[in-house]
Amino acid sequence: MTSTTRRTLLKGAAAVGATTFVPGVRAQGAPVRIGYSIARTGPWSVGAQTSQEPNYLLWAEQVNAAGGLSVKGTKRPIEFVSSDDRSEIETCVRTYEKLMGSDKVDLILPPWGSNANFAVAPLANRFGYPMLAPTALSRKLVEMKLPYFFLLLQQPDRMVGALVDMLVANNVKTIAVIYVDDLFGLENYAALKIALKGTPIQVLEEKSYPGGIKDLSPVLRSIKDRNPDAFVGFTYPPDTILASRQAKEVGFNPKFFYASVGTAFQLYRNVMTPAGAEGVMGMGTWNARTSPGAKAYFDAHTKKFNKEPDRWASGHCWAGLEILQSAVAKVGLDRKAIRDYVANTEHKTIIGPVKFTGSENTATPGVVSQWQNGEFEVVWPKSMATSALAAPKPAWK
Amino acid sequence: MSLSAWLELLASGLITGGVYALVAIGLNLQYGLMRILNISHGEFLMLGAFATWWAQAQLGISPLVMLPVSFLLLMGVGLVVHRLCFRRLAATSPNVDVFEARSLMIGFGLMFFVQNFALLLWGGDLRGYDYLTDPVVIGGAQFSGNRLLVFGCALLFSLALIALLRFTLLGKGVRALMQSPTGAQLVGIDTRRLHPLMFGIGLGLSGVAGCLLSMTYAITPSMGEPYTVTALIVITLGGFGSMTGSLLGGLLLGVVEALGMHFMSPSLKMLLSYGVFIAVLLTRPNGLFKR
Repeated sequence: MTSTTRRTLLKGAAAVGATTFVPGVRAQGAPVRIGYSIARTGPWSVGAQTSQEPNYLLWAEQVNAAGGLSVKGTKRPIEFVSSDDRSEIETCVRTYEKLMGSDKVDLILPPWGSNANFAVAPLANRFGYPMLAPTALSRKLVEMKLPYFFLLLQQPDRMVGALVDMLVANNVKTIAVIYVDDLFGLENYAALKIALKGTPIQVLEEKSYPGGIKDLSPVLRSIKDRNPDAFVGFTYPPDTILASRQAKEVGFNPKFFYASVGTAFQLYRNVMTPAGAEGVMGMGTWNARTSPGAKAYFDAHTKKFNKEPDRWASGHCWAGLEILQSAVAKVGLDRKAIRDYVANTEHKTIIGPVKFTGSENTATPGVVSQWQNGEFEVVWPKSMATSALAAPKPAWK
Repeated sequence: MSLSAWLELLASGLITGGVYALVAIGLNLQYGLMRILNISHGEFLMLGAFATWWAQAQLGISPLVMLPVSFLLLMGVGLVVHRLCFRRLAATSPNVDVFEARSLMIGFGLMFFVQNFALLLWGGDLRGYDYLTDPVVIGGAQFSGNRLLVFGCALLFSLALIALLRFTLLGKGVRALMQSPTGAQLVGIDTRRLHPLMFGIGLGLSGVAGCLLSMTYAITPSMGEPYTVTALIVITLGGFGSMTGSLLGGLLLGVVEALGMHFMSPSLKMLLSYGVFIAVLLTRPNGLFKR
């Protein structure tokens, strides 16, 4: 019987923990149980722990400190049922199946990354759980037309469209492209090809590379010899850093240097130094100057985790939590009603208005950001800009 | 293609190859001497990288100072791991083939253990720092200072180990053990002392490699795995137990990859590595440099 007593003891301890967790304001109802599975170990954990789970934890802490999640006016504390998916799709899917099928949690939060969302989205749809995914990027996810699934990030055609608009407006005539040879790189590259049609821009060199590559200098040297006006890389964080460092190494300094995932991370500035990052462009939607809400979020995140949120997906993740929170406040925990509210309302968020057409967020435009004096400033389009575009890029330092 | 472009390309391959060689030599020391198929070799490299980053970021210690420190640190870890895992295993395994198979299992276990230990301690974030990234011009070709340093140190440590094995009494003992374990024990070579020491030196070298890599690449808890795979290819190229073979094999693989990436596509890199691997297995199964 020791195990039973121990379990009771643990439950008691947990209950005490839960009440001390919300000092001052007493929540009125039973907890709202929110389930998710996310990578805390394995290769996905870098992205998941940069752009996603810290936001969940911060959100729950803030909401509970304010007395709980408002469910049609009744404040109820948030209780997470969460686990590590070990960066395995199968574990991820099974966990969500359990969360929705047998645990019957009130709501779910999405896992990290396009692949996991690809696998979980149809399941959530079958169980009728709304899912607002902040780190999924693929046109294929939109084409699945799942009514309960929403994508917060701008999709490749929008991001690349903004990039091409910016390049054309700055009289760029020639570019060189490298892209990682997986779904992310291929889709962005395909979108670029389409966006370039009818523009005067000529592609001088295009090369794909495998993820986890250790040396890009042979590629960058041959690109340097072609002397393009702009360099475009559809890259992942380690490769983004590698390409930047090696461009500096081989003395390749085009007028426009654009890389993708990872440019928006605080890490990029730390590794390259603020002076070294100056002028580098990449995928980023927001920063602390975008809105007062964004500033408050930025400061709270930095204070709690002692690290800055990234300037792209983190903001979208927070926006998703804001949307979910206001939906529950408005319509309660009826998941069909939440889905309808999310689908049919224009939401005000820290990254600006968000509105869904089908699964896709069609209110947030594609954007280009640029490192200037140690901040990742939004520079394109002008409606979203926090600073003017600085071109051409200064020499690497 | 101009002469200087060729030189740049070859040098770039040699730099990458130098690190391959250093990692492979460490692994080869474990496998060639003791038949420990340490699949977690790359994880210890990652520990070396994290230790260097941590010392640099938190205490402001130069990565160069951390080179010998990582070596000694990882060597210490190696002695402990050998004592805890492989000594017992050697005592309980009926023969060397069973030992090899079991050591593979232990290697897998260590891999998960060390990787998740790093995740727990440092989290899943990418890490890195800025060190000697300014380009240095050598005869028209241009390289970043840190990559030249990496190449120089990798070569230095590899050659030092080869010299140790070739010219000292200790090295003679080790080579005797590789040729004939029973014979060596009959003439009084003490395996209980030599095995832990060589295992420690093997991990120490992976610590040095990690320290060097942290100067040029971003660091994550999962950064080590690809190096283990490459090291296995290099060892096969150079021959089991042959340190010179590993050095030349590593450099060769680096150059083949660089040339392949330039003339074909970087996406074919793995295909090239495995192509070389299979070709060597088919034509010279004992390694390219084995007489």
